Order: sequence, then structure tokens, then C-alpha cells
Amino acid sequence: MNAIETTGLTKYYDKLCAVDHLSLLVNNEIFALLGPNGSGKTTTVLMLTTLLRPTEGSAAICGHDVVREGEEVRKRLSYVPQDMAVDIKLTGRENVLLFARLYGIANPKDTTDEVLAIMELSDRADDLIRTYSGGMRRRLELAQALVHEPDVLFLDEPTIGLDVTARKKIWEHIRQLRKNGMTIFVTTHYMDEADQFCDRVGIISRGAIVALDTPAALKAQLEKDVITAKVSGSPGPVEIGGVRCVGQMNGEITFTADNGREAMPLIVRALETQGIMVTSLSMREPTLDDVFLHAVGTAEEPGHFDYQQFRTMLRRRK
Amino acid sequence: MRGVKDYIVRDMIKWFRSPVSVVSMLVMPAAWLIFVGLALPVSFTGNYLDFITPGILVMTMLSSSLNGGTLLMFDKILGFLNKFLALPTPRESILVGKILFITIRGAIQATIILVIAVLIGATILSPAQYGMIYLILLLFGFLMSACATTIALYLGDHDSYAAFNTMISMPLFFTSSALMPYNVMPAWLRTIARLNPLSYAIDAVRAAGAGTVPLLQIGLLVAMGGVVIAICMQMFRRVTV
Repeated sequence: MNAIETTGLTKYYDKLCAVDHLSLLVNNEIFALLGPNGSGKTTTVLMLTTLLRPTEGSAAICGHDVVREGEEVRKRLSYVPQDMAVDIKLTGRENVLLFARLYGIANPKDTTDEVLAIMELSDRADDLIRTYSGGMRRRLELAQALVHEPDVLFLDEPTIGLDVTARKKIWEHIRQLRKNGMTIFVTTHYMDEADQFCDRVGIISRGAIVALDTPAALKAQLEKDVITAKVSGSPGPVEIGGVRCVGQMNGEITFTADNGREAMPLIVRALETQGIMVTSLSMREPTLDDVFLHAVGTAEEPGHFDYQQFRTMLRRRK
Repeated sequence: MRGVKDYIVRDMIKWFRSPVSVVSMLVMPAAWLIFVGLALPVSFTGNYLDFITPGILVMTMLSSSLNGGTLLMFDKILGFLNKFLALPTPRESILVGKILFITIRGAIQATIILVIAVLIGATILSPAQYGMIYLILLLFGFLMSACATTIALYLGDHDSYAAFNTMISMPLFFTSSALMPYNVMPAWLRTIARLNPLSYAIDAVRAAGAGTVPLLQIGLLVAMGGVVIAICMQMFRRVTV
């Protein structure tokens, strides 16, 4: 039995197609749904958590249909939306105890203590949430979601607006949950996090999955190296087979090449014949950012791939 | 229904931890009671305080209910509602808990107003009469809080609801039988006052105070409450699927 299974899952808002025939299988793993704003990530999560009715197709959580067996589905999942909805006038313990009671679990008080300890909030449990930092509030939400030991955990943008340390901590907790056998479905904007912490990544664009694999396999598929050359002067166009100039700014030119190691000397030679001095040269492997822009950029703006690539280069330089 | 109590406890704690809102909601009815109830020179009754107290009690329930309309709307806006809806707890418990909380809160406030009224000279009634008064206030509370919650869910944003609240509360109060008996009203006002649901509750509380059982008004409140709660359930289901 699959933890999450969708078949042709579709959602229309009037005429706008938010999710377009999505078919997915997710099991004991951390699955990340990546996509630009408005690509249908949250709509997908809402349908899977029974908060929104699909227009077409079906989805099942642990074998239970999300439309016909809503209550069975809700018994097996926990959902943490991106809004950070915790009652600031309640203490940490009260917030978690509320959920423990609502889930109707056998021993609400002890379980509350347990999950607060797991999320490292025990010493602040009796303080009002008003005094909690963003990272602590997020961990408290995870604690709320864990009181009934769900099979599937849905996290919508779990690290949005958190600092690096807090983000790392959240991901450590998520990894631990996966090890204990939970299926975790996250949506995120942060490519580096998906790359580092997720087992599988689905890139969604205009409601459809455009790439789906492990982060390593996705990067391998791109099969391109990224080369940056620092030069003096401004060179004219460089024409080398298998090499593509994708940007030029502040004395730096960026290329992508099928085989970077072989392309580097060719680039230097081509530039030197133009009378341009190359002061430094670097090569790196593609990141998930490149994969994302390749998948989404081409899908959304056909013919403008160079421009998209150029923008990634600019962003990375900061 | 599972979860109802937990939702009520949550709202109760939040309410008690905001002392400003606890006190501020009592100021208006207390001011009416003291400054109008004690000071207005009227000729139709010897004890105006006894006459106006039922009106003020109902007004307290009304303002508590109208203020309470925002609670579920804010839960929706702030993302709490989605978290609650994703729980295996029956979804209707959210709504039932909200209506009960708003009504209980109104009854607590009405109790404080009643104590003030007695302290400044209102006649003390028998326990049975107070029991009847509370029954009427609770029925009225269910009706009004369901009504307010429905309208707030329908309007969907706080500004529109605040405007609606301001627009409706005073006219509703002035066109009821709260301030004067029907026989001293001008004819046009009498017609409106007879149709105003506030009047049913006020007349019923007055009848209970006078020692009779106002079956007609109680029946009307139950019927109207039933209809409004049914509409409210529909509205709630519409915004939650």
C-alpha cells in the first residue's frame, strides 16, 4: 500500500487549471514538491489533506480515498500549513495539549510532554507563544502534528522565513521522523534544502510535474558544466561547438558546456585570439537551481532560456 | 460531540488572557444601565431601572454575539481553521464550539451586568425567574452568534464585518422594546419593534421578571434559532470543502 498515491489529480478554479492530471507515488521518503509561486503546490497539498475537493482524478492516503473516506484519511495524516498558526496567548504546552485532545489520543498529557521533549521545547513549554522565536513556533507546530503519530506528514513551506540555524534544526527533525518510518511530503522554494535533505524531488510547473527524480539524478540529467571566466576587456561572441555563452557581467563571462574540462582550454584560446586576457577560470557542477530553471524556465518562457540562465548566474554571484 | 469542549476551552483561555477585551465589552452596557437607567426621567414607570435591565441584558448578549462573529473568520484568515479541518475530529465541532463559546461568554457578561443592576437598585427576583431569564438569554445567544458567524463567514474580511457590526448594532437596539414600552412608542416605531427579534428576547425576559412564562417568545426564539443555525451549518460546509 502506498502512503500517497494520486491518479490524474486535477483542480480547476473556474477556468484556471491549478493542478493538471498529477500522478504521483510517494512512500517512506522525504518528497519535496518544488515549483514557482502559483504553480499548484499548495493546491495539491490541500487536496491531499482533504481540505479541497479535486475537480477530476483521485488521490489516496494509505489506501483511503481523500474524497470518499475523508475521516479515515485525516486519522493518518498531519498537516502543517505555511501560515504559522499557533495561538500566541496560549503556552506551548496548551497549544500541543489542544491538538492531543482533539486527536482523541489515549494519554494526552504524557504524549504532549513527550513531543515537546522531542522538539526540544520542554524548558519553554509553559511560556506564552508570544515569547517564542519563529523557529520555536515552527517546531511547536511540528510537535502539534506529531502527537497522534501520523503515517504521512504534510509540510507546506516548513522553513519559510527562518534563519539558517532554525532551518537546519527543522530539517534534522524531519530526517529523524523519516528514519522512524514516516512519509513526509514537503513543498519548498529553497533548492539547496531540497537538494540536501530530500530523497526525491518533483518539480511542478503550471500544475504539472515537469521533472521527478532524486536530486542527484536530476542534476546528472542536465549534463552540463557551468564555467565562469574572469577577463579583462569586453570580448565579442565566442563560437565553440558544445559551449554556450549564457552571460557576461562585470568582467565575468559564464558558459555552459557539455564537457567542461575539454571546453575550458578552448574558451581560453578563443578569448586570447580576440586579444582578451583571461585572469581566472572556474568550473562547477550544476545545482538544483539549474535543474529547476531548466525545467520551469523552458516550460514557462520558451525561447528565453538564455535569459533565465543569465539571471541564475547573476543571482548566484551575490 | 468530540472536540467541542476542547475548542471552547481554547477560546476561553484566550479570552481570559486579554483583560482589555473582557472589560471593554462590559463598559457599554454598564454605562447604559447606570447613566440611562438611573438618570432618564420617565413617567410610564416608577422604577425605570427594572424596566431597562432586561433590555441591557439582551444588549449585552447581542454585542457579545456580534463581536464573536469575527472569531471563526479570524481562525479562517490566520490558518487555524485549515489545521482544525485536517483533524479527524468532526468538522461541525468547530462551529458548535464557537457558537457555544460566544453564548457562554455573553452569559458571563450578562451575569456581571445583572449584579451591577441589583447593586444599584434593581428588584431581586426568585431563582426560578433567574433560571427562566438565563434560558431566554442563552436561546437568544445561540440565535445571534450563529447569525453573526454566518455573516462574518459570508463577508470574509474583517473590515466589511466591522462595518456591518457598527451599522447593525445600534439601530437594532433602538428599534426594539429595550427603552420604552410599546404603548408609549410612536405607531411607526411600534410596528418595527414588534418585528425586531431583540424585542422577543427583551419581552420574554420582562415577562419572566413579572412572573409569567413567555411561551410564545421562547417558541419564536427556538424556531428562529433553528433556522439560523441550519443556514450557518450550510455556510460553514460551503467554506470548508
